[in-house]
Amino acid sequence: MPPAVPGSETFPALIARIASGDRDAFSRFYDLAAPMAFGLIRRVLRDPEAAAEVLQEVFWQVWQEAPQYDPKRGSPEAWLVMRAKTRAIDRLRSMRRRDRTFVAPVDESIARAEDAPAENPAVVAEERGLVQTALAQLPEAQRRVIELAFFEGLTQSEIATRLGEPLGTVKTRARLGLERLRGALRGERVSAT
Amino acid sequence: MTREEISELAAAYALGGLEGAERARFEARLRAGDAEVLAALRDFEDTLAGLAAAAPETPPPAVKAALMERIAAAPPAARAPAPVRPLSRRRSAIWPVVLSGAMAAGLAAVVVGWTVSATYEKRLDALARDADQLKAELRRQQAVIGILRDPATQVVALAGLPPAPGARARMMWHPQAGGVFVATGLPAPPEGKAYQLWAIAGSNAPVSAGVFSVDASGTGSLSVRPLHGVAAVSAFAVTLEPAGGLPAPSGEVYLLGKS
Repeated sequence: MPPAVPGSETFPALIARIASGDRDAFSRFYDLAAPMAFGLIRRVLRDPEAAAEVLQEVFWQVWQEAPQYDPKRGSPEAWLVMRAKTRAIDRLRSMRRRDRTFVAPVDESIARAEDAPAENPAVVAEERGLVQTALAQLPEAQRRVIELAFFEGLTQSEIATRLGEPLGTVKTRARLGLERLRGALRGERVSAT
Repeated sequence: MTREEISELAAAYALGGLEGAERARFEARLRAGDAEVLAALRDFEDTLAGLAAAAPETPPPAVKAALMERIAAAPPAARAPAPVRPLSRRRSAIWPVVLSGAMAAGLAAVVVGWTVSATYEKRLDALARDADQLKAELRRQQAVIGILRDPATQVVALAGLPPAPGARARMMWHPQAGGVFVATGLPAPPEGKAYQLWAIAGSNAPVSAGVFSVDASGTGSLSVRPLHGVAAVSAFAVTLEPAGGLPAPSGEVYLLGKS
């Protein structure tokens, strides 16, 4: 959801200006959207320097690929977040390959993310709070599947192996969990069952 | 596809965990502009963007500075790949202010001393790293020689299958000591993929013996540790899998050899 800003500064308008090479628009888009992308990258990658590099790569991609942005395919936030997520997970995998060490278990990264105070709570729109609340309210099994996939980059068969569950169960949980989160984003009542 | 199936595939795709044939099928529907598939994916991606937005974090200012410098030098859609600029932690806007008048000389001495000691520390670090690498390399070589000298070691030849008919590999395998695997003629794995070596004992499920990549000439190698619970290996196989490997083979078989 774009923040409340003048018409020329909505996210789609900024992306269109970036596509035509407008550096001020890029600077503005960065200021508005980088904290969201960085929050996600930091949740995936513990190393702050690696996270900063990934953020730079993501916004470099924004600068280069803005002309290809297609509003029909999704919102600019989703466009940005999917890039940030993909890049962060790529980096995580290459670091895992290189180090051959285990990353912190997911519970630790969740605890960290929840402890970290948002820099400016005023910018966190109400519906975003709703999504986070909804994530916390998801049945544990659904929440685990979403977090292992989205923040740790595990494929569904890797999640099935890790949790010792059949692949079909993992698929169903991912769908149910995301559907419930989507409902929360639309302001539907979230039931706890 | 039913709505539920579409929703399931879109959820997995948005989360980044859709693989293999399902992924290809879903992407084909996306490319074809299937409205229902696009809408399902858009919904879930917006949901995940909302999730990401729930925990914003202020990035270090150096990132924006580096980016603005980079874009000043490049129009958008300029396809030339520009390297990521390293973010210097030492540079700071305070220096010009501090470096004034009489302080400069004293400070210069401190800076020189710091630079010299930093240089030596770096060199010592580098030497320690070199030594560690050499020791590790020596251990690897000794293990290889040990395996080659042992009469119990068997050599298994692997031949290329249809995805890479020209590929060849050798496995020097010792049930207690592990083994050494070398392959040639393999194509470079696509982005996000790697080759995985499997040990097969009779009719049991294949056991992963590790993941490897190949260099520009198509050559790759792997040191394999002894495999727990695998007594008599009857065959070795190589498949193409997602980078990092999987607990059970899912991709095409590139190399196969019976012992």
